[in-house]
Amino acid sequence: MEERVVMGERARRLRAARSEPVNEVGAELLQRVARGDEAAFGQLYDLLVGPVFGLVRRVVRDPAQSEEVVQEVMVELWRSAAKYSPERGSAMTWAMTLAHRRAVDRVRSAQAAADRDDVIGRRDAGRPFDEVSEQVTTRLEQEQVRRCLQTLTDLQRESVQLAYYGGRTYREVGELLNTPLGTIKTRLRDGLIRLRDCLGVA
Amino acid sequence: MTTADIHALTGAYALDAVSGTERMEFERHLAECESCAQEVRELRETAAQLAIAAAATPPPELRNRVLDQIRTVRQLPPETSVVPLRRRSFGQRLTGVAAAVFLVVAGGLGVVVVRQNQKLDDVNAQASQMLQVLLADDAQILTMKNPSGGTMNVAVSRSHDQMLVLSDDLASPPNGKTYQAWTLDAAGTARSAGVFVPSNGTVSLAVSDFSDASKVAVTVEPGGGSKAPTTKPVMSGDLPTA
Repeated sequence: MEERVVMGERARRLRAARSEPVNEVGAELLQRVARGDEAAFGQLYDLLVGPVFGLVRRVVRDPAQSEEVVQEVMVELWRSAAKYSPERGSAMTWAMTLAHRRAVDRVRSAQAAADRDDVIGRRDAGRPFDEVSEQVTTRLEQEQVRRCLQTLTDLQRESVQLAYYGGRTYREVGELLNTPLGTIKTRLRDGLIRLRDCLGVA
Repeated sequence: MTTADIHALTGAYALDAVSGTERMEFERHLAECESCAQEVRELRETAAQLAIAAAATPPPELRNRVLDQIRTVRQLPPETSVVPLRRRSFGQRLTGVAAAVFLVVAGGLGVVVVRQNQKLDDVNAQASQMLQVLLADDAQILTMKNPSGGTMNVAVSRSHDQMLVLSDDLASPPNGKTYQAWTLDAAGTARSAGVFVPSNGTVSLAVSDFSDASKVAVTVEPGGGSKAPTTKPVMSGDLPTA
């Protein structure tokens, strides 16, 4: 019992060290952006575009379409900045939720899916995916996420990655992994919960 | 889907790994399940960490393209009120006509979702706005019959200053004409609340800023609408008093 409390505390501190400066800056910038502050938007862009671009490109794959989606997402952040409320989650999460939603919307329209399959492994051949941003904090976070992903079972990790980075529905994940749907749903949830606990996201 | 099934969907939902219909069904469930909503918030924060781990450097010219574009994009206004959806059981609020209206909303949104996948976020915003009205303590529903076919439901909340004009079976207006909704004050002065043409019978129009109004009415107007009503209302009803 004692130990659990201590571990929870450590997780919280880790999280505090990791995300709060970025989130506070993000929330404050969003507030200024909501009032039409273009300079603040420039800063918000610099803060968020690395993860947004990396995520969208993983899901969408096609470079030209990825850029379009990233542009759409960034403009949408400008447009709806006033709708952001910190009680519902961090600025980073708000932006990433929007980015992921837009990216999967793009690939799930049938034509886009066909285009994507067509270009996989051609335009992207030989190009490393992890041209990571140079920010030190980001690199530390990346390390931690990679480490935590290793604590998942293979099925949990594969399911989470196919769903999130692959933009697949859980039905598609089930087919790809030859696993019953009920199992996939559970693995996605359990995998994320394990990841949450490892990362100390509260 | 059983409750346990729905609850297991938190992970798939947080990862956007659900179909459009499942998403809507699950969001309805979220409105009445605080523990699910909390779990979704946490799992989304977790998923966002996966995005951070995938960070990559975009082409530098993208920045200028975005900054140029925002100068041409008008920003949305802030949300002025937030209803504590979770404090109250969904079932208690959605009885009788309200439940019917809700189905209309959900059905209407379903059509929109299928047709305009790209606009899901707008639709979500619209859905939550609709829910706010339907769940308001002072929400009331007016039902009006259209003489040329179909029924129109109007959900009104004075406290939210919101009115939803909804139908799923409204007959189309004559060729070249449009429906126009009006709010009328005690002196009978009409103010336009918007023009609409049903699409496959479906109408969903949100009206705000009607604090002076005591009646709502719908007329048939020339395409594009009129400054003031030019015909007798085909439907009208009294708004609940403030």
